[in-house]
Amino acid sequence: MSAPKFYGIRPPGIPNEPLPGRLIVIEGTDGVGRSTQIALLREWLESRGYAVVHTGFRRSDLASQGIQRAKRGHTLDPLTLSLFYATDFWDRLERHILPALRAGMIAMVDRYIFSLVARAILRGVPRDWLEDVYGIALVPDRVFYLDISVEQLLPRIINTTGLDYWESGQDYLRGPDLYNNYIEYQRALLAEYRSLAEEFGFQVIDGGQPIGTVFNALQAGVEEVIAGMTPPKGDETKLNPEDSPGVEDSARIDLA
Amino acid sequence: MSSARNYDSNKGVSMALRPNNYPGKLLIVEGIDGSGKSTQLDLLHKWLVSEGYLVVFTEWNSSPIVRATTRRGKQRRLLTPVSFSLIHAADFASRLYMQVIPALQAGAVVLADRYVYTAFARDRVRGLDREWLRRLYAFAVEPTVAFYFDVPLDEAITRILEGRPSLKFYEAGMDLALSRIPSESFRLFQGLIQNEYDHLANEYNMVRIDATLQLIDQQQLVRQIVGPYLEGAIRLEKTEIQDALMAHRLGGRYLEDMRLRQRSPK
Repeated sequence: MSAPKFYGIRPPGIPNEPLPGRLIVIEGTDGVGRSTQIALLREWLESRGYAVVHTGFRRSDLASQGIQRAKRGHTLDPLTLSLFYATDFWDRLERHILPALRAGMIAMVDRYIFSLVARAILRGVPRDWLEDVYGIALVPDRVFYLDISVEQLLPRIINTTGLDYWESGQDYLRGPDLYNNYIEYQRALLAEYRSLAEEFGFQVIDGGQPIGTVFNALQAGVEEVIAGMTPPKGDETKLNPEDSPGVEDSARIDLA
Repeated sequence: MSSARNYDSNKGVSMALRPNNYPGKLLIVEGIDGSGKSTQLDLLHKWLVSEGYLVVFTEWNSSPIVRATTRRGKQRRLLTPVSFSLIHAADFASRLYMQVIPALQAGAVVLADRYVYTAFARDRVRGLDREWLRRLYAFAVEPTVAFYFDVPLDEAITRILEGRPSLKFYEAGMDLALSRIPSESFRLFQGLIQNEYDHLANEYNMVRIDATLQLIDQQQLVRQIVGPYLEGAIRLEKTEIQDALMAHRLGGRYLEDMRLRQRSPK
């Protein structure tokens, strides 16, 4: 256990104390299968006695409603949206993720800062600025990136949610052709993810493979990350709410 | 991030804002609560309008998109130093891109009640790194003139506490746990902010106005300083409304209110 590491400098309000938990991040574009894999990983880890907290975008008490409202409007510049998401991110880091890590739990995060960074870069927000702002982010124990090609992605999306306004870049691409905009947007987004994967050392897993195969690859990776961790179930002190005041809250959020 | 710059090596380096390359002018006021800056900006506003300038007003924490979230955070006391800082930056960005920059492009005089320096001072007091704050606001446009209304702490505190039955949690800096007594916390908080402002005023060459002077004398100074910078700002041609106001010797107070409401719907 070492002191928490941040990409930039340690933000105020975060004690420089070791965090016994593990921060595991799953990144990837919409439709790549993140939710499915996270559901499988949670069940698997919990069956082995690990306490898992799960969080994703727009789940902060503070900013989620505001972001939803803002995205319904027509006058949202990319910088404001980025800062709105950064607020949401921070609120979740401070209220969901850090208390769980302090309590020795596994925080399973469905998209961390990288999806936010990739999307913002496509919309013209300077990379340097994003990296500065997100310097407040805790460095995860591992980032798994589920990669996929647009060709593989398309049928999945058409078959499930359909083409989404934001995920097709309709807010900044020209023209009413949702299909072609989707392809153009996702191509650029995937390229951005891959460049981030290289820069920040993600473990890349081919998300185009069958669900079971992807899961096996994730399991092997997670196994490395949790090596040396004691499952908190047998350890009374770690589950004592008085010792770790974030546990109750985190557990409740997990159920929500 | 791993490729990010070394923050420590940049300590003490002043970071300039983005230069204003637009035809419009950006005039901003700063100062602790009770310094009288809003009153002075309001007087300046009326004068500029009477001189025929196209004037756009914007104030801190007023973005129609972001404000509700900030309010939620304050009411429920969800805000911590970092989220407080980020949500105010979101509010600022939203107003900059929706109100300020388009107006500057059009050649207007933009008046801002509080600007990035408010964040630099308050967020620094809340423990955020000063370099990080400057990078966070690196997208802001540099003001044409930035006024700092310098007032003795005791006078400002008296002005605020006299007119107000109770202080709000974050307004009084209660989140900093400086004191359990709101008025005492407020005093300590404002003192710390004033100290930051003092440095900022030097760092960013803000124009200091002695806020203990008579209102009218302060305003005279402000207008004298602003005058030379107005060259190039567009002036509205006399309109039918202005002709009607002149003919009937009316000031157009309520028309102005109406226009303000239209610009920033409350």
